[in-house]
Order: sequence, then structure tokens, then C-alpha cells
Amino acid sequence: MMKKFKIWDPFVRIFHWSLVIGFTANALILDEEGQAHIWVGYAIVALIVARILWGFVGPRSARFAAFTPNRKQVIGQISDIATRRRSTHLGHSPLGALMIFNIIGSILIIGVTGYMMTTNAFWGVEWVEEAHEIFVGWAEISVVLHIAAVVIESLRTGVNLPRAMVTGVKTVPADVILKE
Amino acid sequence: MIRINADKPGLLLALIAVQTFCAAFFLWDVMSDAFPYGLSAFNNLHLTIEAIAAFSLILAVLFEIRYLMALLRHTAHLKRQVSLAAGAFHEIMQEHFRRWNLTPAEQDVAGFTVKGMSITEIAGLRGSAEGTIKSHLSSIYHKAGVTGRGTLLSLLIDDLVETPLVPADEERAQHQA
Repeated sequence: MMKKFKIWDPFVRIFHWSLVIGFTANALILDEEGQAHIWVGYAIVALIVARILWGFVGPRSARFAAFTPNRKQVIGQISDIATRRRSTHLGHSPLGALMIFNIIGSILIIGVTGYMMTTNAFWGVEWVEEAHEIFVGWAEISVVLHIAAVVIESLRTGVNLPRAMVTGVKTVPADVILKE
Repeated sequence: MIRINADKPGLLLALIAVQTFCAAFFLWDVMSDAFPYGLSAFNNLHLTIEAIAAFSLILAVLFEIRYLMALLRHTAHLKRQVSLAAGAFHEIMQEHFRRWNLTPAEQDVAGFTVKGMSITEIAGLRGSAEGTIKSHLSSIYHKAGVTGRGTLLSLLIDDLVETPLVPADEERAQHQA
């Protein structure tokens, strides 16, 4: 017995996978010095800005107010992981939400420092370049942690999280505990 | 009364977050310094020590995560029983669970069983099927070398009272004497 819940609206899904493509292109594929790198960078910043606006006006599951966790919820989720209890959140989980804020913040810093490197005032300034590279490294590690966490949490909760981010529907086994 | 310090996991969590960021930074720094020279870069003492520092910071983060998990498991069990006796009993229980090499899930199930909960209740609390709980239980009993819940409990209580259990009929004989 499975229960199905429509969770992610089309904007959230398109945003997620566009960001995946854009970040992969700029971090791993495109020439760092080229024009394409700069244009993809603008597109990514535009995506992030749109996501932030959507976080205030979008449907409930997309709103920051709905998934910003408090400390108790974060510790609650880690306790469930530590004891291997099968509970799941319908929207973003508390730890998942923290990762969202981390990635949005890191990408914004990367975008701003990247833009600064194209301006006359900051071109060739060492700390700007350094910050850009440090946060790219941090974002890459965050992505690896994010993917690992998605796999581990899918196994623990029995909810296929990657599929939910494609179809928008979370399929939850009947005996799994649902949390707000 | 055993007080559960609510701040402790929060502080530890913050520490893990900060150290993860620093470890990522140092790892990135070491790798970008060493990359142009390959393995021969580690002939440089300064770089080698940096690499060791980064590596041990990562290990420390992993240990902290393990400790946090153990702490939260402990808190999960103590949540409804914050008396001293429950704490002492919990220690003994944990000691046995460690010796029997129970998995985290089995420890959770064993804890509920010792508290007298039924298979249905445990399945509800853990969000899993009754069949899963049953297989956890049989694995627990197997690892502990007992036949069922009764013998499992008596093993634990035996340690708590620190005196050998007197068989019921012998006790009766002593009373009559």
C-alpha cells in the first residue's frame, strides 16, 4: 500500500534541474575564461533570484516560511536517522532545508564574486578570485553531500526522493510515519 | 534526576557544520597546492603537515557525527523516562546492546521491547511493518542468546540487582524454614 502526495510544483522542479545543468556546466565543463561561463553564470543568478521570490509567493511547499526548520526539528530528524526510524516529511525535511539555504547562499556568493571579476574595479583583485574559488569548492562538496543524503534518506524512509523531484509526487509506503 | 541538556546536540551540530566548512577549505587548499606537482609535492614538509591536518580534521568530524548519533539515540530512549533508575538501567542495557553488536535499528527495537511494548506498537512508533520488527526481534534474541522477551529482560535485570536470581521454589523453601 502506497500513499501518493503531489508536493513539488513545476517551477520548483524546473528550477532544481536547471540549476543542476547550469552548475555542472560552469564548474566542470565550460572554459572558466570564456564568455559562455559568464552567460551561464548570469542565468544561474537569475534562477536563484526567481527561486527566492517564489519562496515568498509560490505554493505552500515552495515557501521558505513553510520549511525553515527550528532546532528541535533538525535534532528530531537526526534522531530518526540515528535510530533508523522510518519517518518522512511531506515537504522539505529540516536537514534538506538547511542544505537548500546553504546552496542558495553559496551560489549567490559565487555569482556576485564572479560578476565582480568582470568589473574594472575588482578585476584581478586577489580576495575576490579566492572567494569565488573557495565557494565553488564548497558548493561542489555540498552537492556531493546532498546527493549522498538523498540516497541515504530514500533508503531509510522508503520514499524515492529523486523521482519525486522529477514527477512532483512523493510516494510514501503506508506504514511510514508522516511528519509536518 | 538526569537532566537532558537540550543545548548539547545543537552546539555539537554547529561545531560539525563549521568544521566541515573548514575541512573542505583546507582539503581544497592542499589539493590545489599539490596538484601541479603530483605526489612529489608531499616532499614539502609544510604541505605534508597541512595535508595531515586536513585529513585529521575530516576524521574528527566523522567521530563527532558518530558521537552525535549515539547521544541522540540515548536521548531518544530517555525521553519519556528521566529518572535516575531508568538512567542506570539504560546504561546497563546499552552496555549489553554494544556487546551483542546490535545495529542502531535493533537497539531501538530492543529498547521498546524491554519497556514492554507490543510488536504492533513498536511498528507504529518506528514506521515499519510488523514483519520487519519481528525479524529485528529474532535477530536480537539470536545475538543475545536468549529464547524470548522474558529471558532477555531477566538477563538485564540480573545485572541491575547484582545478585544471582534465586529460583522461585528455593525461595519458598527458605521462607518455610
